[in-house]
Amino acid sequence: MKPFIHINALTVAEAVAALAAYDGRARLNAGGTDLMGLLKDEFLPEYPQAVINIKNVAGLDYIREEQGMLQIGALTRLSDIASSPLLRERYGALAEAAQAVASPQIRNVATLAGNLCQDVRCCYYRYPRHIGGPISCARKGNGPCLAVKGDNRNHAILEGRKCFAVCPSDTAVALALFDGQLLVAGSAGERRIAVRDFYTPLGNQLGKDELVREIELPAITASTRQTFHKFTLRKPIDFAVVSVATLITVVDGVCSDARIALGAVAPGVVRAAAAEEFLRGRTIDPASAARAGELALAGARPLSKNAYKIEIAKTLLKRALLGHPPAKPSQGIVHDKCPHVKTK
Amino acid sequence: MATAIKKKKSLVKNLVRFSVNGTAVELEIGTLPHQVETAHTLAHTLRETLGLVGTKVTCDNGACGSCTVLMDGKAVLSCMTLTVECQGRSITTIEGLADPETGRLDPLQQSFIDHTAFQCGFCTPGMIMSAKALLADNPSPTEADVKEALSGNFCRCISHYQVLRAVMATAQGGE
Amino acid sequence: MAEVYRFIGKPTRRKDAVEVVTGTTQYLDDIRFPDLLHGKVLRSPHPHAIIKKIDKSRAEQLPGVKAILTWQDVPDWKGGTPRVVRILDRKVRYVGDAVALVAATSAQIAKEALGLIDVEYELLPAVFDVEEVMKPGAPQLYDELPGNIVTPGTPAFGHSCLTEVVMGDVEQGFREAEVISEGTFGYENIPNPIPPEPPGAVAIWEEPNRVTLWVSNQASYLDKILLFHVFGKKVEVRTHGAACGGSFGTKLMSWQVQTYATLLSRATGRPVKIIFSKEEHIAAFVLRPGSRMQARVGMKKDGTVTAVSGTWLVDTGYYSATTQAQVAVGCGEIQLMTRCANWDLKTAIICTNRNASGSVRGFGGQELKCSFIPVLCLAMEKLDIDPVDFIKKNYVKPGDGYFWRDGLWYTYRGIDYSDAMDQGAMRFGWREKWQGWLKPSSVDGSKRRGVGVGVHGNADIGEDSSEAWVRLNPDGSALLYSCITEHGTGQRSNYVKMVAEVLQLPMERVTVTPADSLINPFEYGPFGSRGTYAIGSAAIAAAEDARRQLLELVAPRLDAKPEELETVDGVVFVRDSPERKIKWGAIGYDRTVMGYGRFDPDFTLANCMITFVEVEVDTETGKVDLLQVVNTTDVGQIIDPPGLEGQLNGCLGSSGIDSALFEETILDHSSGHILNANMIDYKWRTFSELPPIDNIVLETPVASHRFKAIGVGEVATSPGPMAVLMAVSNALGVWLHEYPVTPERVLKALGKLPAMTRTGGAQ
Repeated sequence: MKPFIHINALTVAEAVAALAAYDGRARLNAGGTDLMGLLKDEFLPEYPQAVINIKNVAGLDYIREEQGMLQIGALTRLSDIASSPLLRERYGALAEAAQAVASPQIRNVATLAGNLCQDVRCCYYRYPRHIGGPISCARKGNGPCLAVKGDNRNHAILEGRKCFAVCPSDTAVALALFDGQLLVAGSAGERRIAVRDFYTPLGNQLGKDELVREIELPAITASTRQTFHKFTLRKPIDFAVVSVATLITVVDGVCSDARIALGAVAPGVVRAAAAEEFLRGRTIDPASAARAGELALAGARPLSKNAYKIEIAKTLLKRALLGHPPAKPSQGIVHDKCPHVKTK
Repeated sequence: MATAIKKKKSLVKNLVRFSVNGTAVELEIGTLPHQVETAHTLAHTLRETLGLVGTKVTCDNGACGSCTVLMDGKAVLSCMTLTVECQGRSITTIEGLADPETGRLDPLQQSFIDHTAFQCGFCTPGMIMSAKALLADNPSPTEADVKEALSGNFCRCISHYQVLRAVMATAQGGE
Repeated sequence: MAEVYRFIGKPTRRKDAVEVVTGTTQYLDDIRFPDLLHGKVLRSPHPHAIIKKIDKSRAEQLPGVKAILTWQDVPDWKGGTPRVVRILDRKVRYVGDAVALVAATSAQIAKEALGLIDVEYELLPAVFDVEEVMKPGAPQLYDELPGNIVTPGTPAFGHSCLTEVVMGDVEQGFREAEVISEGTFGYENIPNPIPPEPPGAVAIWEEPNRVTLWVSNQASYLDKILLFHVFGKKVEVRTHGAACGGSFGTKLMSWQVQTYATLLSRATGRPVKIIFSKEEHIAAFVLRPGSRMQARVGMKKDGTVTAVSGTWLVDTGYYSATTQAQVAVGCGEIQLMTRCANWDLKTAIICTNRNASGSVRGFGGQELKCSFIPVLCLAMEKLDIDPVDFIKKNYVKPGDGYFWRDGLWYTYRGIDYSDAMDQGAMRFGWREKWQGWLKPSSVDGSKRRGVGVGVHGNADIGEDSSEAWVRLNPDGSALLYSCITEHGTGQRSNYVKMVAEVLQLPMERVTVTPADSLINPFEYGPFGSRGTYAIGSAAIAAAEDARRQLLELVAPRLDAKPEELETVDGVVFVRDSPERKIKWGAIGYDRTVMGYGRFDPDFTLANCMITFVEVEVDTETGKVDLLQVVNTTDVGQIIDPPGLEGQLNGCLGSSGIDSALFEETILDHSSGHILNANMIDYKWRTFSELPPIDNIVLETPVASHRFKAIGVGEVATSPGPMAVLMAVSNALGVWLHEYPVTPERVLKALGKLPAMTRTGGAQ
């Protein structure tokens, strides 16, 4: 990697001060699993001058309940979220989403806030400098979105405008389901941003001197049914082709509350409001589940190669509502000594 | 901007201390050949500064698990870890598994040999480290646990099946 | 009945096992060199352009930079087949083409220097499709290759190199056919085997004309010969083959990185190392060839193929090194699997503005069959022929003949693989699962299962030459001189095993020399599946020769004739009176015995691999899961069971079966960028998704060498992709002929994708 100035921030205030001092030319490093790729491939027009290490900022690694709210420190690692008994029991969709990220080694260091703030995975945007790149594009403020006429198999089917890269975060999908809020610290003090509003067409709402300090989720009644389904070509490592998180409350056989969040289909996380509304007061059965899928994707406008994502999203949602398991349990493989030798 | 950079430089600690395979390591941070640069990854430092070339680099981008080492007992990717951020950590590499006194191999290493759980061998150190982290945490894993623990480790020859047997044989209650 | 041996056929510990598991194996990047410089390559951002101007002055100012070479600075050395590819050229022909080379005191400084080289390009139109590129007026990549058609044939296979399959009377053949099928199908996802260790080289130049290279290749002696020719036969080349962290055929094409290191060392007078990044490895090294075949097949109800005609177009990317060889071998292999009297199959190799294709496991035959078998399937469907019956009927039988790579006709003298096919079908449960063409084996709601089968075989198991020496030492040990790098197959250990068996020495007492071209005799290298028979024969012959000399030497001391003697564990004794014995040391401390062995090519034996797969297709998401794999083969005699298992399990890796499921190199057809040059977006099989694999291996003695064995490792990847397409088509009930079977393609085949899309259209 090209050299950079390395700063160890020990408090949120130090980190904010360093961010402010570098005025957009510094990057925060928590788990580093996204940042290292950005630094190594040098795909951005400007290389960061400084890296601010926030790993050692004290008191940002927690999962706790305060006054009915669930609070998760920004630096809480995905492996801890995935294995937290509290989250497993009450916020299962979040634990599942964290478990669905990348690989064990990544989850051991990657943080929740880092997962939310990671950069997009668009193949044009991230094309590496050292093999004839980087490539200019709308997201970099220079030219059109190349995915529109290019290979857009992983791009947005909903809400794409200037840039069709999708939000790559799995945990954002679950957090949006829970109406999660980000507590953001900056030079001007703290503010709250709803996770579902966090992503903008070309990035996110964080100012140059801001960082996510905490993620807060409202209380969940214990009787909800939650799912997180992530469709990928293969199980670990991959970013979602489509993900769907659902939270359903059923009272006397009737859906009293339905929340549906879709991931990897749009630049941000999508809450399927029409489908949620439709399900409330209804019985969830194959017909209503299928209808919810239609409503959730009604606004989809696919590009040349990504209409398949609509079908997958509808299917994932339908199956989530009907309670299908996300994937079949991994099968045991033959354990005897191979090869089976047949001697003539 | 130049003054800002200069000012910030004072925040940089000029030493980083951690342990590798039980041995304390103290490295100067700087830009001279013997020093650790801020941009150096742990994989780079292990291989190029400390000469521990058993840790292999395949993708150098967090996707393949070849460079897996243990940090405070957990499997992490040394290619995605900045050395300057390893202050106070305890690192174990493939070179640290055999008994330093007797040279006796770790049972996991022995099992990899006994099951020919490798082909070209380039991914093997990373596989062993991931499996080591699993067994330290869960001495009696199921086959599904082993697959999950190794799910971030790339092998192109397809040694997976023999690796699974090797790890299961090492695990308590294994074959 | 296979013989019982002391070592052969038994699982034995790999000689390098301890090094592998302790991380002490020395791969190329692990070897330390004093005073080493690091090399980097500046790569083109354009798929086709003329370099108008290069200004390296800014880069030269960077402290630590020791040399920068551009096309103006390098000798007119050329590689490729034909030899048209300059080391650095005024023209760039793909995104990633080499523009300049930098050597610096650290890799980071070299990389930084790349960014300080100013290049002005004059852009040229680029072309990425094999048919577009042949049209009049299409951009021309090389003056020497009009129409972008690569000169057919490779000098390496002689003046009559196979470039087509033409024999009999196809018109007559089609008249005899009961069904004629026709179509154009491709295997054009240009998958990449991506071994974990990236390509690289370390060079030390010595004036005036000598270079020593440390290389990572499965055939390090061949590098010496290739480079000698690239360097205009004016440079003396020595290669050290390091342990190779995977190759799958690709690292045969390391001549460019080796040449870069050589030239930078020559320019600086210091050792220079270049190790490609994984991004370079994927975007600027070696892909499988693109394959598109228009074919017509005549078939009878009993599965007899009466005629095959067509054209095989092979997209080699921006240059060819081995593609002609792949076409030659492919043309041979198609005959092995299709017994037919009437052929008119033409071929053409075409250059396009993308990263080069070249040598990859499956070497031409996998690419060809992935395009050809769909046409066979169409005919089989019409005639309702079970593909297993077809394969059994049509795979080469003893006494059959074929044109092989040198254009000559050979008569097959190997075994009939029908037994192996039956055993595999039984293990897989083929008879129960096969419901007929385009019929699923089972349906459960939206999940549909299907089965498929593929076949591949190669007469390369006796290709090319090998030489070996075996030295017997008076201390009762032996040393095998064979220029073999360990690239994962375990063959270095297997040759030790063969020598140990011949000499009846414990394996610990037999070692093999490092793969140094200076000390070893000629070795083509373990390419294809030639290792067991070809290289093994040379090692065995050398050991037998050494043994004979030893017995002759000590016979007078035992007062016996040499043929009355045996040797076991370093002791020679009289067979009929074992008490009359003497240690090898009797030859004297001042003597060694050196035996020589050589293997000359033999194209009359072929291996065979049949792969059965079962898939499950989710018709609502388009996802295809591989549920089961059964590989079946006959190797004559297993040398090392765990090593063989590893090779056969390799069917999933190195762009084998998975090239039908999810592996593909994504090329932007308007800009020429490879969009997934990283190991997240290039998909590979993980531990989480391992289907059960059964490997059925028969041991019917083959007339090869004294152990009656043949190799099979290479071909494990090859039958799978076509089997997957067959299985998915059967599951869906409609044909799906494109690789890989992405959810998009599956849903499209099922008619589930709406026509409404936004503007624009990717290729």
